[in-house]
Amino acid sequence: MSKPKSSPSTTVRALIEVSITPQKDVGFDSIAERIYSYPEVKSCYLLSGGYDLLVIVEGESIHTVADFVAAKLSSMANVRQTATHFLLRKYKEEGQVFKHPKSERRQNISY
Amino acid sequence: MRISKRVDQVAPSGIRAFFDLVLGMKDVISLGVGEPDFVTPWHVRARAIESLEQGYTSYTSNKGMIELRRDIAAFLDKRYDLTYDPEEEILITVGVSEALDLAMRAILNPGEKILVPEPCYVAYGPVVELAGGKPVFLKTSIANGFKVTPQQIDEAAGRGVRGILLGYPCNPTGTSYSKKELEAIARVIKKHDMLIISDELYDELTYDFEHTPMATLPSMRDRTVYLNGFSKSYAMTGFRIGYVCGPADIVGAMTKIHQYTMLCASITGQMAAIEALKNSANDVQAMKKEYDRRRRYIVGALNDIGMTCHMPQGAFYAFPSIAVTGESSMDFAKNLLLKQKVALVPGDAFGQSCSQHVRISYASSYDNLKEAIARIDKYLKRK
Repeated sequence: MSKPKSSPSTTVRALIEVSITPQKDVGFDSIAERIYSYPEVKSCYLLSGGYDLLVIVEGESIHTVADFVAAKLSSMANVRQTATHFLLRKYKEEGQVFKHPKSERRQNISY
Repeated sequence: MRISKRVDQVAPSGIRAFFDLVLGMKDVISLGVGEPDFVTPWHVRARAIESLEQGYTSYTSNKGMIELRRDIAAFLDKRYDLTYDPEEEILITVGVSEALDLAMRAILNPGEKILVPEPCYVAYGPVVELAGGKPVFLKTSIANGFKVTPQQIDEAAGRGVRGILLGYPCNPTGTSYSKKELEAIARVIKKHDMLIISDELYDELTYDFEHTPMATLPSMRDRTVYLNGFSKSYAMTGFRIGYVCGPADIVGAMTKIHQYTMLCASITGQMAAIEALKNSANDVQAMKKEYDRRRRYIVGALNDIGMTCHMPQGAFYAFPSIAVTGESSMDFAKNLLLKQKVALVPGDAFGQSCSQHVRISYASSYDNLKEAIARIDKYLKRK
Protein backbone atom coordinates (compact mmCIF):
# COMPACT_ATOMS: atom_id res chain seq x y z
CA MET A 1 0.00 0.00 0.00
CA SER A 2 1.51 3.32 -1.03
CA LYS A 3 2.19 5.96 1.54
CA PRO A 4 -0.44 8.70 1.42
CA LYS A 5 0.90 12.07 0.36
CA SER A 6 0.91 14.60 3.13
CA SER A 7 -1.58 17.35 2.47
CA PRO A 8 -0.25 20.91 2.27
CA SER A 9 -2.07 21.74 5.47
CA THR A 10 -0.23 19.08 7.51
CA THR A 11 3.28 19.54 6.04
CA VAL A 12 5.93 20.72 8.47
CA ARG A 13 8.40 23.26 7.23
CA ALA A 14 11.75 24.23 8.74
CA LEU A 15 14.34 26.89 7.95
CA ILE A 16 17.80 25.54 8.60
CA GLU A 17 20.91 27.66 8.97
CA VAL A 18 23.90 25.73 7.64
CA SER A 19 27.52 26.72 8.25
CA ILE A 20 29.91 24.98 5.93
CA THR A 21 33.57 24.78 5.26
CA PRO A 22 33.91 25.76 1.65
CA GLN A 23 35.88 23.43 -0.59
CA LYS A 24 39.09 24.51 -2.21
CA ASP A 25 38.61 25.95 -5.70
CA VAL A 26 34.85 25.46 -5.78
CA GLY A 27 33.60 27.40 -2.78
CA PHE A 28 30.06 26.65 -1.68
CA ASP A 29 28.53 25.51 -4.95
CA SER A 30 29.18 21.78 -4.86
CA ILE A 31 28.11 21.48 -1.22
CA ALA A 32 24.98 23.45 -1.96
CA GLU A 33 24.27 21.16 -4.91
CA ARG A 34 24.55 18.08 -2.72
CA ILE A 35 22.16 19.61 -0.23
CA TYR A 36 19.53 20.83 -2.67
CA SER A 37 19.52 17.53 -4.53
CA TYR A 38 17.52 16.01 -1.67
CA PRO A 39 13.76 16.15 -2.48
CA GLU A 40 13.06 17.21 1.10
CA VAL A 41 14.95 20.46 0.39
CA LYS A 42 12.52 22.92 -1.18
CA SER A 43 14.81 25.94 -1.28
CA CYS A 44 18.50 26.63 -0.78
CA TYR A 45 20.10 30.09 -0.60
CA LEU A 46 23.65 31.38 -0.08
CA LEU A 47 23.54 34.32 2.33
CA SER A 48 25.85 36.93 3.74
CA GLY A 49 26.11 37.15 7.54
CA GLY A 50 26.46 34.72 10.41
CA TYR A 51 25.95 31.50 8.49
CA ASP A 52 26.34 30.35 4.91
CA LEU A 53 23.31 28.56 3.53
CA LEU A 54 19.63 28.91 4.32
CA VAL A 55 17.92 25.62 3.56
CA ILE A 56 14.14 25.19 3.62
CA VAL A 57 13.01 21.63 4.28
CA GLU A 58 9.53 20.10 4.27
CA GLY A 59 8.40 16.86 5.86
CA GLU A 60 5.37 15.08 7.21
CA SER A 61 6.23 15.81 10.83
CA ILE A 62 8.70 17.48 13.11
CA HIS A 63 10.33 14.08 13.60
CA THR A 64 10.69 13.53 9.87
CA VAL A 65 12.42 16.86 9.42
CA ALA A 66 14.58 16.37 12.49
CA ASP A 67 15.61 12.93 11.24
CA PHE A 68 16.56 14.36 7.86
CA VAL A 69 18.71 17.06 9.44
CA ALA A 70 20.43 14.61 11.77
CA ALA A 71 20.93 11.78 9.29
CA LYS A 72 21.55 13.57 6.02
CA LEU A 73 22.38 17.23 6.55
CA SER A 74 24.52 17.70 9.65
CA SER A 75 26.51 14.58 8.92
CA MET A 76 27.40 15.74 5.43
CA ALA A 77 31.07 16.38 4.72
CA ASN A 78 31.99 20.07 5.02
CA VAL A 79 28.87 20.92 7.03
CA ARG A 80 30.21 22.44 10.25
CA GLN A 81 26.99 23.34 12.01
CA THR A 82 23.22 23.50 11.56
CA ALA A 83 20.48 25.35 13.43
CA THR A 84 16.90 24.28 12.73
CA HIS A 85 13.93 26.65 13.06
CA PHE A 86 10.46 25.16 12.61
CA LEU A 87 7.88 27.35 10.92
CA LEU A 88 5.02 28.00 13.33
CA ARG A 89 2.80 30.39 11.38
CA LYS A 90 2.72 32.08 7.99
CA TYR A 91 1.66 35.71 7.96
CA LYS A 92 2.61 36.65 4.43
CA GLU A 93 4.35 34.84 1.57
CA GLU A 94 5.13 35.94 -1.96
CA GLY A 95 2.86 38.94 -1.52
CA GLN A 96 -0.09 36.94 -0.24
CA VAL A 97 -1.38 37.70 3.25
CA PHE A 98 -2.71 34.61 5.01
CA LYS A 99 -4.71 36.28 7.66
CA HIS A 100 -7.55 38.78 7.25
CA PRO A 101 -7.59 40.58 10.57
CA LYS A 102 -10.33 42.92 9.40
CA SER A 103 -12.77 40.09 8.78
CA GLU A 104 -12.31 38.82 12.29
CA ARG A 105 -12.80 42.26 13.79
CA ARG A 106 -15.86 43.38 11.84
CA GLN A 107 -19.34 43.12 13.29
CA ASN A 108 -21.08 40.17 11.67
CA ILE A 109 -23.80 42.40 10.29
CA SER A 110 -24.08 46.10 9.48
CA TYR A 111 -25.89 48.39 7.08
CA MET B 1 -43.21 61.85 27.44
CA ARG B 2 -39.53 62.65 27.71
CA ILE B 3 -38.55 62.04 24.08
CA SER B 4 -39.21 64.65 21.42
CA LYS B 5 -42.06 63.93 19.03
CA ARG B 6 -39.71 64.31 16.10
CA VAL B 7 -37.51 61.47 17.33
CA ASP B 8 -40.36 59.38 18.62
CA GLN B 9 -42.05 59.46 15.23
CA VAL B 10 -39.04 58.06 13.39
CA ALA B 11 -39.73 54.35 13.01
CA PRO B 12 -37.20 52.13 14.80
CA SER B 13 -35.27 49.64 12.71
CA GLY B 14 -37.62 46.83 11.81
CA ILE B 15 -34.81 44.33 11.81
CA ARG B 16 -33.10 45.18 15.08
CA ALA B 17 -34.13 41.84 16.53
CA PHE B 18 -32.65 40.05 13.52
CA PHE B 19 -29.39 41.95 13.91
CA ASP B 20 -29.25 40.96 17.58
CA LEU B 21 -29.77 37.33 16.60
CA VAL B 22 -26.87 37.44 14.13
CA LEU B 23 -24.56 39.15 16.57
CA GLY B 24 -25.37 36.56 19.21
CA MET B 25 -24.39 33.58 17.04
CA LYS B 26 -20.96 32.11 16.46
CA ASP B 27 -19.38 30.61 13.32
CA VAL B 28 -21.68 32.43 10.97
CA ILE B 29 -20.68 33.14 7.38
CA SER B 30 -21.82 36.69 7.09
CA LEU B 31 -22.81 38.22 3.78
CA GLY B 32 -24.44 41.00 5.73
CA VAL B 33 -21.55 43.35 6.36
CA GLY B 34 -21.73 46.82 4.89
CA GLU B 35 -18.03 47.58 5.04
CA PRO B 36 -14.93 46.36 3.21
CA ASP B 37 -13.24 43.15 4.32
CA PHE B 38 -9.88 44.71 3.52
CA VAL B 39 -7.86 46.38 6.22
CA THR B 40 -6.96 50.01 5.61
CA PRO B 41 -3.75 50.05 3.54
CA TRP B 42 -0.75 49.90 5.84
CA HIS B 43 0.82 53.19 4.71
CA VAL B 44 -2.39 54.99 5.70
CA ARG B 45 -2.46 53.33 9.12
CA ALA B 46 1.24 54.04 9.54
CA ARG B 47 0.65 57.73 8.87
CA ALA B 48 -2.13 57.79 11.46
CA ILE B 49 0.16 56.15 14.04
CA GLU B 50 3.01 58.47 13.13
CA SER B 51 0.79 61.54 13.51
CA LEU B 52 -0.07 60.45 17.05
CA GLU B 53 3.61 59.87 17.83
CA GLN B 54 4.31 63.36 16.53
CA GLY B 55 1.70 64.78 18.90
CA TYR B 56 -1.11 65.68 16.49
CA THR B 57 -3.98 65.32 18.94
CA SER B 58 -5.70 68.69 18.98
CA TYR B 59 -8.75 70.16 17.27
CA THR B 60 -8.48 71.21 13.67
CA SER B 61 -10.31 73.99 11.90
CA ASN B 62 -14.09 73.40 12.01
CA LYS B 63 -14.03 73.05 8.24
CA GLY B 64 -11.30 70.40 8.43
CA MET B 65 -7.56 70.67 7.82
CA ILE B 66 -6.93 73.05 4.96
CA GLU B 67 -4.33 70.64 3.61
CA LEU B 68 -6.97 67.92 3.31
CA ARG B 69 -9.48 70.26 1.72
CA ARG B 70 -6.88 71.40 -0.81
CA ASP B 71 -5.95 67.81 -1.57
CA ILE B 72 -9.60 66.90 -2.09
CA ALA B 73 -10.03 69.89 -4.41
CA ALA B 74 -6.95 68.88 -6.39
CA PHE B 75 -8.07 65.26 -6.50
CA LEU B 76 -11.57 66.06 -7.78
CA ASP B 77 -10.15 68.47 -10.33
CA LYS B 78 -7.80 65.84 -11.69
CA ARG B 79 -10.17 62.89 -11.41
CA TYR B 80 -13.39 64.44 -12.64
CA ASP B 81 -12.53 67.93 -13.86
CA LEU B 82 -14.69 69.15 -10.98
CA THR B 83 -13.50 72.28 -9.17
CA TYR B 84 -14.34 73.51 -5.70
CA ASP B 85 -12.88 76.27 -3.58
CA PRO B 86 -11.28 74.51 -0.61
CA GLU B 87 -11.88 77.56 1.60
CA GLU B 88 -15.63 78.00 1.07
CA GLU B 89 -16.99 75.00 -0.76
CA ILE B 90 -15.54 71.96 1.01
CA LEU B 91 -16.27 70.70 4.54
CA ILE B 92 -14.69 67.68 6.21
CA THR B 93 -17.27 65.66 8.14
CA VAL B 94 -17.43 62.68 10.46
CA GLY B 95 -18.17 60.21 7.72
CA VAL B 96 -20.67 60.74 4.95
CA SER B 97 -23.32 59.95 7.56
CA GLU B 98 -22.72 63.30 9.24
CA ALA B 99 -22.61 65.08 5.87
CA LEU B 100 -26.02 63.63 5.03
CA ASP B 101 -27.47 64.78 8.33
CA LEU B 102 -25.98 68.26 7.96
CA ALA B 103 -27.28 68.62 4.41
CA MET B 104 -30.84 67.88 5.45
CA ARG B 105 -30.74 70.12 8.48
CA ALA B 106 -29.20 72.92 6.44
CA ILE B 107 -31.70 72.95 3.59
CA LEU B 108 -35.05 71.71 4.91
CA ASN B 109 -37.79 73.82 6.38
CA PRO B 110 -40.41 71.98 8.44
CA GLY B 111 -42.61 69.72 6.33
CA GLU B 112 -40.64 70.13 3.10
CA LYS B 113 -40.17 67.03 1.03
CA ILE B 114 -37.20 65.14 -0.34
CA LEU B 115 -37.59 62.52 -3.06
CA VAL B 116 -35.81 59.29 -2.16
CA PRO B 117 -35.56 56.45 -4.69
CA GLU B 118 -36.15 53.11 -2.97
CA PRO B 119 -34.48 50.70 -2.19
CA CYS B 120 -32.09 53.02 -0.42
CA TYR B 121 -29.61 53.21 2.39
CA VAL B 122 -31.41 52.78 5.71
CA ALA B 123 -30.56 56.24 7.02
CA TYR B 124 -31.99 58.25 4.11
CA GLY B 125 -35.59 58.36 5.34
CA PRO B 126 -34.75 58.96 9.01
CA VAL B 127 -32.27 61.80 8.36
CA VAL B 128 -34.92 63.63 6.36
CA GLU B 129 -37.47 63.12 9.12
CA LEU B 130 -35.07 64.09 11.88
CA ALA B 131 -34.41 67.32 9.99
CA GLY B 132 -38.13 68.02 10.09
CA GLY B 133 -38.74 67.05 6.47
CA LYS B 134 -40.77 64.38 4.78
CA PRO B 135 -39.23 61.67 2.60
CA VAL B 136 -41.22 60.73 -0.51
CA PHE B 137 -40.09 57.29 -1.60
CA LEU B 138 -39.98 56.51 -5.33
CA LYS B 139 -40.23 52.77 -5.76
CA THR B 140 -37.91 51.14 -8.29
CA SER B 141 -37.89 47.53 -9.38
CA ILE B 142 -35.61 44.76 -10.53
CA ALA B 143 -37.30 45.01 -13.94
CA ASN B 144 -35.14 48.03 -14.78
CA GLY B 145 -32.26 47.30 -12.44
CA PHE B 146 -33.63 49.45 -9.61
CA LYS B 147 -33.01 52.70 -11.49
CA VAL B 148 -35.22 55.69 -10.81
CA THR B 149 -36.55 57.18 -14.02
CA PRO B 150 -36.79 60.85 -14.99
CA GLN B 151 -40.51 60.33 -15.37
CA GLN B 152 -40.88 59.16 -11.78
CA ILE B 153 -39.02 62.24 -10.58
CA ASP B 154 -41.04 64.52 -12.86
CA GLU B 155 -44.36 63.17 -11.58
CA ALA B 156 -43.35 63.37 -7.93
CA ALA B 157 -41.73 66.81 -8.06
CA GLY B 158 -43.70 69.92 -7.40
CA ARG B 159 -45.03 71.87 -4.49
CA GLY B 160 -43.10 71.40 -1.29
CA VAL B 161 -40.41 69.20 -2.87
CA ARG B 162 -37.00 70.71 -2.19
CA GLY B 163 -34.91 68.11 -3.83
CA ILE B 164 -33.87 64.53 -4.36
CA LEU B 165 -31.48 62.35 -2.39
CA LEU B 166 -29.72 59.97 -4.75
CA GLY B 167 -27.03 57.50 -3.78
CA TYR B 168 -25.11 55.93 -6.62
CA PRO B 169 -23.63 53.34 -6.72
CA CYS B 170 -26.45 52.37 -4.38
CA ASN B 171 -26.46 50.55 -1.09
CA PRO B 172 -28.24 47.99 -1.17
CA THR B 173 -28.70 47.39 -4.92
CA GLY B 174 -25.29 48.29 -6.36
CA THR B 175 -27.15 50.25 -9.05
CA SER B 176 -25.38 53.10 -10.77
CA TYR B 177 -26.15 55.34 -13.72
CA SER B 178 -24.39 56.12 -16.96
CA LYS B 179 -23.66 59.71 -17.88
CA LYS B 180 -26.56 59.68 -20.33
CA GLU B 181 -28.99 58.43 -17.67
CA LEU B 182 -27.78 61.09 -15.24
CA GLU B 183 -28.18 63.81 -17.85
CA ALA B 184 -31.83 62.83 -18.26
CA ILE B 185 -32.32 62.94 -14.48
CA ALA B 186 -30.49 66.28 -14.31
CA ARG B 187 -32.87 67.82 -16.88
CA VAL B 188 -35.86 67.01 -14.68
CA ILE B 189 -34.11 68.33 -11.57
CA LYS B 190 -33.40 71.61 -13.36
CA LYS B 191 -36.94 71.78 -14.73
CA HIS B 192 -38.31 71.78 -11.20
CA ASP B 193 -35.53 73.93 -9.76
CA MET B 194 -34.65 71.27 -7.21
CA LEU B 195 -31.50 70.50 -5.30
CA ILE B 196 -29.82 67.12 -5.44
CA ILE B 197 -27.98 65.60 -2.50
CA SER B 198 -25.71 63.23 -4.34
CA ASP B 199 -24.21 60.46 -2.20
CA GLU B 200 -21.31 59.15 -4.30
CA LEU B 201 -19.40 57.31 -1.59
CA TYR B 202 -18.93 54.21 -3.73
CA ASP B 203 -17.81 56.13 -6.83
CA GLU B 204 -14.45 54.40 -7.20
CA LEU B 205 -16.18 51.03 -7.02
CA THR B 206 -17.96 51.40 -10.35
CA TYR B 207 -17.16 48.48 -12.59
CA ASP B 208 -18.78 48.70 -16.00
CA PHE B 209 -18.33 52.33 -16.92
CA GLU B 210 -16.73 55.51 -15.65
CA HIS B 211 -18.51 57.12 -12.73
CA THR B 212 -19.93 60.57 -13.48
CA PRO B 213 -20.43 62.99 -10.59
CA MET B 214 -23.75 64.80 -10.89
CA ALA B 215 -22.03 68.13 -10.26
CA THR B 216 -20.05 67.78 -13.49
CA LEU B 217 -23.18 67.88 -15.64
CA PRO B 218 -24.18 71.18 -17.26
CA SER B 219 -25.71 73.67 -14.81
CA MET B 220 -25.74 71.12 -11.99
CA ARG B 221 -22.80 72.27 -9.92
CA ASP B 222 -24.74 75.01 -8.22
CA ARG B 223 -27.62 72.76 -7.25
CA THR B 224 -25.64 69.66 -6.22
CA VAL B 225 -24.57 68.84 -2.69
CA TYR B 226 -21.81 66.33 -3.42
CA LEU B 227 -21.06 63.81 -0.68
CA ASN B 228 -18.07 61.50 -0.64
CA GLY B 229 -15.59 60.01 1.79
CA PHE B 230 -12.96 57.44 2.57
CA SER B 231 -14.86 54.56 4.14
CA LYS B 232 -15.52 52.29 1.19
CA SER B 233 -12.98 52.84 -1.59
CA TYR B 234 -10.09 53.27 0.84
CA ALA B 235 -11.36 50.76 3.46
CA MET B 236 -11.29 53.42 6.18
CA THR B 237 -14.72 52.92 7.78
CA GLY B 238 -13.51 53.29 11.36
CA PHE B 239 -11.60 56.48 10.66
CA ARG B 240 -14.92 58.30 10.14
CA ILE B 241 -13.88 60.82 7.50
CA GLY B 242 -16.22 62.13 4.84
CA TYR B 243 -16.61 65.38 2.98
CA VAL B 244 -19.15 67.55 1.27
CA CYS B 245 -18.54 69.84 -1.68
CA GLY B 246 -21.11 72.28 -2.89
CA PRO B 247 -22.23 75.88 -3.31
CA ALA B 248 -20.79 78.17 -0.65
CA ASP B 249 -24.16 79.09 0.88
CA ILE B 250 -25.14 75.48 1.49
CA VAL B 251 -21.68 74.36 2.67
CA GLY B 252 -21.56 77.45 4.88
CA ALA B 253 -24.88 76.51 6.48
CA MET B 254 -23.68 72.94 6.99
CA THR B 255 -20.47 74.25 8.54
CA LYS B 256 -22.47 76.38 10.97
CA ILE B 257 -24.29 73.32 12.30
CA HIS B 258 -21.11 71.22 12.27
CA GLN B 259 -19.11 73.74 14.29
CA TYR B 260 -21.69 73.72 17.07
CA THR B 261 -22.22 69.97 17.15
CA MET B 262 -19.15 68.01 16.04
CA LEU B 263 -16.65 70.90 16.13
CA CYS B 264 -14.33 69.01 13.79
CA ALA B 265 -13.57 65.55 12.45
CA SER B 266 -10.81 63.58 14.14
CA ILE B 267 -7.34 64.91 13.41
CA THR B 268 -5.97 61.37 13.25
CA GLY B 269 -8.56 60.45 10.66
CA GLN B 270 -7.81 63.56 8.64
CA MET B 271 -4.07 62.87 8.69
CA ALA B 272 -4.78 59.35 7.45
CA ALA B 273 -7.09 60.71 4.75
CA ILE B 274 -4.36 63.02 3.44
CA GLU B 275 -2.05 60.05 3.05
CA ALA B 276 -4.83 57.96 1.51
CA LEU B 277 -5.56 60.57 -1.16
CA LYS B 278 -1.89 61.01 -2.01
CA ASN B 279 -0.72 57.42 -2.21
CA SER B 280 -3.55 54.88 -2.40
CA ALA B 281 -4.34 54.74 -6.10
CA ASN B 282 -2.86 51.25 -6.50
CA ASP B 283 -4.56 49.98 -3.34
CA VAL B 284 -7.96 51.23 -4.50
CA GLN B 285 -7.54 49.58 -7.90
CA ALA B 286 -6.45 46.28 -6.33
CA MET B 287 -9.49 46.22 -4.04
CA LYS B 288 -11.79 47.19 -6.89
CA LYS B 289 -10.41 44.37 -9.05
CA GLU B 290 -11.06 41.85 -6.30
CA TYR B 291 -14.60 43.15 -5.65
CA ASP B 292 -15.32 42.92 -9.37
CA ARG B 293 -14.16 39.30 -9.47
CA ARG B 294 -16.46 38.47 -6.58
CA ARG B 295 -19.32 40.43 -8.14
CA ARG B 296 -19.23 38.37 -11.30
CA TYR B 297 -19.08 35.15 -9.32
CA ILE B 298 -21.87 35.93 -6.86
CA VAL B 299 -24.40 37.23 -9.39
CA GLY B 300 -23.87 34.22 -11.64
CA ALA B 301 -24.08 31.83 -8.71
CA LEU B 302 -27.26 33.40 -7.32
CA ASN B 303 -28.99 33.16 -10.67
CA ASP B 304 -27.84 29.56 -11.04
CA ILE B 305 -29.48 28.53 -7.76
CA GLY B 306 -32.74 30.27 -8.61
CA MET B 307 -32.41 33.65 -6.90
CA THR B 308 -32.89 36.10 -9.75
CA CYS B 309 -30.32 38.82 -9.43
CA HIS B 310 -29.54 41.80 -11.63
CA MET B 311 -25.90 42.67 -12.28
CA PRO B 312 -25.02 45.61 -10.02
CA GLN B 313 -22.82 48.26 -11.58
CA GLY B 314 -21.02 49.31 -8.40
CA ALA B 315 -20.46 49.09 -4.64
CA PHE B 316 -20.18 45.56 -3.15
CA TYR B 317 -23.80 44.47 -2.88
CA ALA B 318 -26.14 42.24 -4.80
CA PHE B 319 -29.92 42.42 -4.30
CA PRO B 320 -31.43 39.14 -5.44
CA SER B 321 -35.07 38.19 -5.39
CA ILE B 322 -36.24 35.50 -2.99
CA ALA B 323 -39.58 35.00 -4.76
CA VAL B 324 -38.61 31.39 -5.47
CA THR B 325 -38.76 30.63 -1.72
CA GLY B 326 -42.31 31.87 -1.13
CA GLU B 327 -41.08 33.41 2.12
CA SER B 328 -40.84 37.00 3.23
CA SER B 329 -37.31 38.41 3.32
CA MET B 330 -37.32 38.43 7.12
CA ASP B 331 -38.40 34.80 7.38
CA PHE B 332 -35.93 33.74 4.71
CA ALA B 333 -33.06 35.56 6.40
CA LYS B 334 -33.94 34.16 9.82
CA ASN B 335 -34.40 30.58 8.61
CA LEU B 336 -31.19 30.67 6.57
CA LEU B 337 -29.32 31.95 9.60
CA LEU B 338 -30.69 29.34 11.97
CA LYS B 339 -30.49 26.37 9.59
CA GLN B 340 -27.35 27.13 7.57
CA LYS B 341 -25.56 29.82 9.58
CA VAL B 342 -25.44 32.27 6.71
CA ALA B 343 -26.30 35.88 7.48
CA LEU B 344 -27.61 38.41 5.02
CA VAL B 345 -29.81 41.48 5.39
CA PRO B 346 -33.57 41.29 4.74
CA GLY B 347 -34.71 43.65 2.02
CA ASP B 348 -37.30 45.23 4.33
CA ALA B 349 -34.49 47.22 5.89
CA PHE B 350 -34.11 49.20 2.68
CA GLY B 351 -37.70 50.06 1.90
CA GLN B 352 -41.25 48.87 2.27
CA SER B 353 -41.27 47.66 -1.34
CA CYS B 354 -38.27 45.38 -0.83
CA SER B 355 -39.67 42.48 1.16
CA GLN B 356 -39.09 40.07 -1.74
CA HIS B 357 -35.37 40.77 -1.81
CA VAL B 358 -32.32 40.34 0.38
CA ARG B 359 -29.05 42.25 0.36
CA ILE B 360 -25.91 40.18 -0.09
CA SER B 361 -22.61 41.88 0.59
CA TYR B 362 -19.67 40.45 -1.32
CA ALA B 363 -17.20 42.22 0.93
CA SER B 364 -16.13 38.77 2.03
CA SER B 365 -13.50 36.33 0.82
CA TYR B 366 -14.07 34.32 -2.33
CA ASP B 367 -14.00 31.11 -0.28
CA ASN B 368 -16.67 32.47 2.07
CA LEU B 369 -18.85 33.42 -0.89
CA LYS B 370 -18.57 29.95 -2.38
CA GLU B 371 -19.37 28.26 0.91
CA ALA B 372 -22.31 30.61 1.50
CA ILE B 373 -23.75 29.89 -1.94
CA ALA B 374 -23.46 26.15 -1.28
CA ARG B 375 -25.35 26.55 1.99
CA ILE B 376 -28.04 28.78 0.48
CA ASP B 377 -28.51 26.23 -2.30
CA LYS B 378 -28.84 23.50 0.30
CA TYR B 379 -31.47 25.55 2.12
CA LEU B 380 -33.41 26.20 -1.08
CA LYS B 381 -33.37 22.52 -2.02
CA ARG B 382 -34.68 21.55 1.41
CA LYS B 383 -37.70 23.74 0.75
